[in-house]
Amino acid sequence: MPAQTLLAPPAGTPGPAGHANLEVIGIGFAPAHHGELLQGMFLDDAGVPHRALVTLPQPALGTRAVFRPSYTHGGVLGPSELIKVRRAAILTLGRLPSYRSPAKGGQIEITSTVPHGIGMGSSTSDVTATIRAVADSHGHPLEKEEVARLAVLAECASDSVMICDQVVLFAQREGTVLEVFGQQLPPMLVLGCDTAPEEKVDTLRLPPAPYDRSEIAQFGVLRAALRRAVAKSDLALLGRVATASARINQRYLPKPQLEMLLRLCAEHGGCGVQVAHSGTVAGLIFDARAEQVAANIDRCADALSDAGLAVTGLIDPAGRGDRQPAPAGA
Amino acid sequence: MTLRTGSDEATHAFQLPRLIRLTPNLYAASFMLMKMIPARYILRQAMANGLLEPATVILETTSGTFGLALAMQGVHLDRRVVLVSDPVIDERLYRRLTDLGAQVERVPAEAGTIVGGFQVARLNRLNELRAAYPSTFCPEQYSNPDNPRSYAVVAELLLECLGQVDCVVGPVGSGGSMCGTVGNLRSVLPDCQAIGVDTHGSVLFGHADAHRELRGMGMSVLPANLDHRIFDSVHWCAPVAAYQATRQLHRRHALFAGPSGGAAYLAARWWAAANPNALTVVMLPDEGYRYQDTVYDDAWLRAAGYLDSPLPAEPVAVTDPRFPQGAWTSYDWQRRSYAEVLGGHQLLSGVG
Repeated sequence: MPAQTLLAPPAGTPGPAGHANLEVIGIGFAPAHHGELLQGMFLDDAGVPHRALVTLPQPALGTRAVFRPSYTHGGVLGPSELIKVRRAAILTLGRLPSYRSPAKGGQIEITSTVPHGIGMGSSTSDVTATIRAVADSHGHPLEKEEVARLAVLAECASDSVMICDQVVLFAQREGTVLEVFGQQLPPMLVLGCDTAPEEKVDTLRLPPAPYDRSEIAQFGVLRAALRRAVAKSDLALLGRVATASARINQRYLPKPQLEMLLRLCAEHGGCGVQVAHSGTVAGLIFDARAEQVAANIDRCADALSDAGLAVTGLIDPAGRGDRQPAPAGA
Repeated sequence: MTLRTGSDEATHAFQLPRLIRLTPNLYAASFMLMKMIPARYILRQAMANGLLEPATVILETTSGTFGLALAMQGVHLDRRVVLVSDPVIDERLYRRLTDLGAQVERVPAEAGTIVGGFQVARLNRLNELRAAYPSTFCPEQYSNPDNPRSYAVVAELLLECLGQVDCVVGPVGSGGSMCGTVGNLRSVLPDCQAIGVDTHGSVLFGHADAHRELRGMGMSVLPANLDHRIFDSVHWCAPVAAYQATRQLHRRHALFAGPSGGAAYLAARWWAAANPNALTVVMLPDEGYRYQDTVYDDAWLRAAGYLDSPLPAEPVAVTDPRFPQGAWTSYDWQRRSYAEVLGGHQLLSGVG
């Protein structure tokens, strides 16, 4: 995906005394994700329901945001189609202590490799990178909880790509962490595909899923199972949780090929299938520690292509992108 | 990461079972009072939905542990509890219920002669009382879908503690505990087996209604909460087998359970031994205190003739679930509905 709108640097803008312009340009990065391992509605200790999810990060893709502060102009200029990015920048400027920087507004430049509208978090990635870039320009790094809160304010619902050092149950409309499952996911490789390459899902236009009480009870069971799967690094159990979550989601945003994906996954030694609960991507989960895993994934990718599904790449949630195939659409 | 805290209420502390490893592949889920789970869930749901006004009377037909759980909840919720019971109710349970503030209504002894027995007579009395009080709430454990739903917490516990569960064995009465636990487990473990344990003379899985001595399992009417399609197989235990198994559970594992748990232990031990690579969980719904003068009393057992016959080593597999053969029988139910299994047969009882 090409770099998006690049605005000219604000030539001649005076910076704070003693600071060169270069020093106050802020840079932020945020990874993409590949849908969720679990998404639903969960009760807290007081019995109050919260919509929440567990993100499957895709660190090989992401967004880089550059913020150039303006000391004279109060507005935030940025790519016109990215309203949420500008909103995030304004919110972040309002949150940061003004003594750090006299910036009134500024310009944002977004460079992203995240495909749009298929549930890979392009919007959250842009917004999170922007918040970090603005904070960076102020020399005031924000806590991940604060970034999460600002991201949700800017775009109503966010996956938890800003929390990259923990596996969390994240309330995507509140910006809060309901539970920390652990530090990392079990070693896994996820073969991603797009179940409807022609379709784009507008996340915010989807009505929130009206889960019934039996489903809420089931989500509690899935949460308990995931707690164990992360603690014990039990990928088989994690795969079952993801599959169960995908199955419940069939009532709300069905993937017509889910049963076929489950069959292909089982035939090639995989552990389960995860989906983007508000998108079209799905992933077949493989144990990275299993024998022959690379060969199995290769054969499975061929089978997916034969079945007419577009493979979107291999996701290594613990990776840094250096072993990744080329980003989709690049 | 999370500190354990004390419970605000006794009923919360009572709720979850302890998981105890009996053999390498058999765990017991040992409850103090299993019925606390649906009682607590149903009443809290009613509270949240505004169905429990301060003057609302909680009304239920029960002679057993569900009534005890409701009476305990009534203390916390500050609500009056009225229970309709059989004419003969365990005196110690009666004293405990009334000490908790519950009012116990007993149906007359002659009600036992009508079709459906005391269970039908209790339902009739319940309906009379319902009309008599201005505001009532009936938890209806036999038909309220919140009963099975409430057991998701047990599935959570099993998955968090054990991860893999291949078979759950438990006694069946209302259907809530087995259908709720296994139904929720299967969202993650779809291949998990379910073995329901019933007793002779219970209509739940096809026997004709008859007098039943064994408490805590079996029914004279089919409860709506019993989803027969949950069960892979069904075992029937006569009192003699259930009582001896209950005592063995106590002597071998120091687990002091009631006889419905003992019957389930008998079936579970057999299944676990036959499937050494599978992990089995057996549900023990209550403790043995109520049975100290009977099941746990050798003199009583001997007088009733229960000490003489040896415990069978395995169940007799029957091909027609309507007819018992001996003290312990099993039937391959195969997750079918009641009609699929028994539709071809004439119902032997007048209810269903």
